Amino acid sequence: MGRQIKFEIFRYNPERKGDVPHMQTFTLDETPNMTLFIALNRLREEQDPSLIFDFCCRAGICGACAMVINGRPGLACQTKTKDQPTNITLLPLPVYKLIGDLAVDTGVWFREMYAKTESWIHTAKVFDPKAEEERMDNEIAEQIYELERCIECGCCVAACGTARLRDDFMGAAALNRIARFVVDPRDERTDREYFEVIGNDNGIFGCMGLLACEDVCPKGLPLQNQLGFLRRKMGITAIKDIFRKK
Amino acid sequence: MLKTNTTSVAGLSRVDAGLDWLQMLTGAGLILFMWCHMLLVSSVVISPSIMNAIAHFFEATYMAQVGGPLIFLTFLAHFVLAARKIPFRAEGQATIWQHAKMLKHRDTWLWVVQAGTAMIILILGAIHMWVVLNDLPITAAKSAARMQHFWWFVFYMILLPCVELHVSVGFYRIAVKWGFVKSDKRGSFKKFETTLFTIFMVIGVITLIRFVTLG
Repeated sequence: MGRQIKFEIFRYNPERKGDVPHMQTFTLDETPNMTLFIALNRLREEQDPSLIFDFCCRAGICGACAMVINGRPGLACQTKTKDQPTNITLLPLPVYKLIGDLAVDTGVWFREMYAKTESWIHTAKVFDPKAEEERMDNEIAEQIYELERCIECGCCVAACGTARLRDDFMGAAALNRIARFVVDPRDERTDREYFEVIGNDNGIFGCMGLLACEDVCPKGLPLQNQLGFLRRKMGITAIKDIFRKK
Repeated sequence: MLKTNTTSVAGLSRVDAGLDWLQMLTGAGLILFMWCHMLLVSSVVISPSIMNAIAHFFEATYMAQVGGPLIFLTFLAHFVLAARKIPFRAEGQATIWQHAKMLKHRDTWLWVVQAGTAMIILILGAIHMWVVLNDLPITAAKSAARMQHFWWFVFYMILLPCVELHVSVGFYRIAVKWGFVKSDKRGSFKKFETTLFTIFMVIGVITLIRFVTLG
């Protein structure tokens, strides 16, 4: 006989007239290997079809089911109920626009982040479809891949004290995105050009080093190391710039 | 990120980078100073004459007369620089408090501790420096006389843990923020820092007791 789990779930549907934000309690019998993804689907199927939450891949790849689980941002599909206490509180991710209940719109935020960080390879080289692809050092390719593993679930930004205080702060996802291009030899941007994008309090110098981003990242991205790397690199760029011949 | 902002960037300005450098450097300088400060005052535990000898050295080399006010200025500058990040509006304070309570994340709480102790240190630390620098030279007897006054003792029993906490957390924060300590070493570095904090707290309390009992 498994546990009976009590869920406290945030409910608010902005589309429904007169709806007010409130917490609703559900109970569910725990089954072996139950994840929050399974639990939420059962709640929706068996108890309340109006419950809104996002999911897609159910395997920690799409990042759609990110929510605040007992205070910590995380993925519903990767969270096993057996690792949680009998009472589980679920809230939507802060920072992002609420769609309803546990679903938020991370897309708008990430779209703007892409535009802001100019998230593409900047090169003056003209693409020649017939030419053989340029070779890349395996170590660098792996370094880029490591940072490319970000699934854009938004947990790092929701867990960031600075992002909660200031909505113009880029957050770890954006800074990690920049770090990815800094590593990439195909991107011809100079340190000074990167500095223009992140060398300010909206970027790397706004980071207060609380490191919740690193601690909640469901993919275990090396965010702390990337933030440290960028802070040093941009700090040195600023000092070099003082001595630059005008 | 603001939902309605444009994609333009602020342009090249070194101001934010400069302020961040200065915040870190003044912080690191003050940490070093506090460690030296601990060596000076705790030497009284071994013998008041050793403390007097060290204090005399600072006096004779004018380090106390010149260095003292410089430390005071660094202290004030560090406050102004670091205060850029502290929310002074009730709205922001409520946000970070709720956030820390929700997240139950140690490093986030440590930041709240850092910001809270900063306010206490600003006031008590300034009073301490003013009193000490207005009554040079530093001697074990004068420090003891102050500590044997009940309210001064309470004053230092508040200031000591605040400073030790702020210095320890600050030391840890600089190391992880600037990437001197990498992710895989973070756990052990935190343990090291907690040990350092405990050692300094114990030395600090012993020193305070020694001053109180100094005849």
